[in-house]
Amino acid sequence: MDALWFRPGASPREEIVTAITKRSFPSPLDVRSPAGAEGWQKMYPPYLLFSAENSEWESAQFWYWDGMHRPDVEYPFDTLVHEAYMMSVSAVVSRVFAIPGAKSAASRVLNGRLYLADIPFTEEAEEVRRLPEFARRAGHYFENWEQLNANWKAKVAALTDELAAIRVPELPDLEDETVVTSGRGFSSAHVLLDSFARAVANLFLVYQYHFEMLVLAYVAQLNLHELARAELPGLTQHALARFTGGVELEQFRPDEELKRLARLALELGVSGELRAGGTVGEVMARLERHPKGREWLTAMEQVKDPWFFVSTGTGLFHHERSWIDDLSVPIAAIGGYIERLERGEAIDRPRSELLAQRDRVTDQYRALLPEDRRVAFDEALKLARLVAPHMQDHNFYIEHRHHTIFWNKMRLFADRVVDAGLLDTQEDFFYLNRWEAGQVLFDTANSWAQASPGLRMRWRSLVCERREILDALRSWVPEPAVGAVPTHLGGLLTAQFGITMDTVQRWLDGDENLDVDELTGTGASPGVVEGPARVVLSTDEIDRVADGEILVCTATAPSWAPVFGKVRATVSDVGGMMSHAAILCREYQIPAVLGTGAATRLIQTGDLVRVDGDRGSVRILRRAA
Amino acid sequence: MSVASAMDQEVLTLPECGSADVERIGGKAVGLCRLLDLALDVPAGFVVTTATFRRWMDDCGLGREVRRLLHGTADTAATRAAADAIGELFDGRSLQSRAIDRAYEELCDGGEAPVAVRSSAIGEDVAASSYAGQQETFLCVRGAAAVRHHVVQCWASLFSAEAITYRRHLGIPAYQAEMAVVVQRMVPAEAAGVMFTVDPMTWDPSQITIESTIGLGTPLVGGEITPDRYCVDKVTLEVRSRAIAAKPFADRLDGDAGVTHRIVLSASESRASSLTDEEVGELSEIGRRLERAVGSPMDVEWAIGPANGRTRHLFLLQARPQTGRPLRPPSASRRSAMEHMVAGLRRSRAIDKEAAG
Repeated sequence: MDALWFRPGASPREEIVTAITKRSFPSPLDVRSPAGAEGWQKMYPPYLLFSAENSEWESAQFWYWDGMHRPDVEYPFDTLVHEAYMMSVSAVVSRVFAIPGAKSAASRVLNGRLYLADIPFTEEAEEVRRLPEFARRAGHYFENWEQLNANWKAKVAALTDELAAIRVPELPDLEDETVVTSGRGFSSAHVLLDSFARAVANLFLVYQYHFEMLVLAYVAQLNLHELARAELPGLTQHALARFTGGVELEQFRPDEELKRLARLALELGVSGELRAGGTVGEVMARLERHPKGREWLTAMEQVKDPWFFVSTGTGLFHHERSWIDDLSVPIAAIGGYIERLERGEAIDRPRSELLAQRDRVTDQYRALLPEDRRVAFDEALKLARLVAPHMQDHNFYIEHRHHTIFWNKMRLFADRVVDAGLLDTQEDFFYLNRWEAGQVLFDTANSWAQASPGLRMRWRSLVCERREILDALRSWVPEPAVGAVPTHLGGLLTAQFGITMDTVQRWLDGDENLDVDELTGTGASPGVVEGPARVVLSTDEIDRVADGEILVCTATAPSWAPVFGKVRATVSDVGGMMSHAAILCREYQIPAVLGTGAATRLIQTGDLVRVDGDRGSVRILRRAA
Repeated sequence: MSVASAMDQEVLTLPECGSADVERIGGKAVGLCRLLDLALDVPAGFVVTTATFRRWMDDCGLGREVRRLLHGTADTAATRAAADAIGELFDGRSLQSRAIDRAYEELCDGGEAPVAVRSSAIGEDVAASSYAGQQETFLCVRGAAAVRHHVVQCWASLFSAEAITYRRHLGIPAYQAEMAVVVQRMVPAEAAGVMFTVDPMTWDPSQITIESTIGLGTPLVGGEITPDRYCVDKVTLEVRSRAIAAKPFADRLDGDAGVTHRIVLSASESRASSLTDEEVGELSEIGRRLERAVGSPMDVEWAIGPANGRTRHLFLLQARPQTGRPLRPPSASRRSAMEHMVAGLRRSRAIDKEAAG
């Protein structure tokens, strides 16, 4: 309760609670589907849906839309990613570490959008009973963090290698004779199905690892923030983020490698070859012809695995591609760095400067704390800095490296289904959920084995229907929340999303704030600037960004790094305080407003916008003609 | 100048005050001197010291009268009656002072520029004097005679019913009081307001809060308008939040006439920020310096007006230790970092219970 000493007089929260109780969010089952989306529920596994069976319990929870990670309608197949991560994070909270705050977290899909809820403890005694367990278990991880983290990296690398080794066989007219001579004893039909099952299981396991340490890293970070805010309640998110900024991160390695290759190109005199344009093949051919080109290409080959396994998006969706799939992205970025080096610009992260500044600023805040809080602050800071690299780096190893390989494997499975004629295109495969994908693969393998027709019409018409449903669902403007109005928010997940009772109030007030010229999001890097917007939907378009423009993008990933030296501010649909773009924007000292949910839809290239990183708002000042 | 004559000096210009003690020049003047010491700009002015007060009280025989009127006035009604009687006594006496006339003439270069006449309270209760009604401020006073008249008005506030009651509350004899008065050139302000070097609502020591309006600070100080509000991070000087209020009107100083006009602002004027980002930064930096120099959170009044050929130059009007800090309960001693962590994770629940209870 001592955290409350600074709240004078009547609690503003009390007023909020009073106001809130007057209104409510729609009950999940009362939410209507847009015309043309009838039957959308059948696209998803039934356990992901709000159900009549559990309607009483479900209506009693507070469900908020996860527009931050899943801004669009879920492709039926892609839900397996959130199935994997929600099962992992909730078990870590509720069953493994007994994290206080809320008992667990749950997820549901509504009109194709993902909704999350903290599941509160039904009685406080239960939470209290678990506290010693939490202290002991979390304590073990914090005490052995570095060793566990090294172990973690080895585990994830091994699992990723296992995934990479999974074979997705073509189904030949007649099996290769080695199947016989080696005495293998099983056909490619079995391999195909077994491989799919193993690849899916691999994804679910990698998500177990994903949150193994990450949830505790959140805890350590939240701990520092809460402690600092108890004394310095006005501290902004940026100031808090700065406490742990400037650390050496592997997440930046891909970008560092591009810079190194840019320097090497200049040294070897092959920069012209790289920048003369054309397709990747043409660039490669030019380099091959140059006497020093081979040396440069070898240098690139050496770093490609793992450092080019970088998604051009978040890594969470099947349609996102990686550098390794399309070298035009890193080559264009290297070209950009060469250009800046030739202009005499510095392209290195000023890391020692950042660290010095971080330490200076931290010391000054520390000096403002009452003396009896400084030791606690130092401990919390030390712990938060210990876990900070993991908070960022897990992202490279899992969302980027692992998922690059995962989605490429899934495309191969899709190809087998297309080969069998059960679907028209690779993309169609992702209109089936993971269980149906298993069925269509079984149909593929089985019809191959039986030399009989599969359910061509069924699968194709299903996909056709779903394409229409997905389109119809896209027209639905998601409710920010459904279900009960919460009486309190205690869960780690809600805290991580930055949802407070003020947010709840804003959502309840909803309609009053409908302003298509203003977007709000997380003010992830401070400052206010105006400038022309450049909407970039994929990294292919990244070289169109001109100096002084404001980058408006869906998500931010390491592959976007080269652009941050050019732009004046960044706005994204997806992303938070600790995302890649947030870190880079703070380092480059340009404003960022992330996680707006709709920036790429509402803003057009050429619009004059004002980005206010302090308040987390973006205003469209003048629309492009 | 001998020590004795310095002590008797009736008027000191602000730069002359130097290290004069609070008993002679009062808390407000001491605060201004501190600003001068830090090479900050304050409007030119002078202090009518307590020596003038004492001389005048003796000359008029008021000391005796006041003491007599206050004798035996324990209850509220009697105190109020005594205060009224003393007020009439003060109203009936004029102050003659060549020193004030000369200082005013020098201050205005021989003209009759409008000045602000403000009480500068004495005593250990300086910080609390605002509660005791000893904060008289008269704006737009023109001419030496008017200045002298308002000096007396400031002195009279020493014997308001509130001030008397307050002194009794502190255990000080009700008649025992002295006061200095500060006379300063008015700033024809483009913007004015207050700054707290520690947020007055949350008492966050890392947050400087500035409230500001267009024109003079009068409507802000009087609570007649909602001011613009800027919250600034004391360490990085980043603006944490800015709330630009609709300010329906502004008070403007007509320097020639020595009066203020209340001007209705157009819709766009009223919603414009009264300060530029640079000014917010400049003010905050001053607040930070001042707090470090004094070693205490400060409450600063400021104005932006023409000087040195610029239309917007920052002046500090007064600075005093910030009051009203809520008592902080002793911190719960937690045995381990883990205990803190648990408390942090469960904090929202704690808040909830607090609100419900």
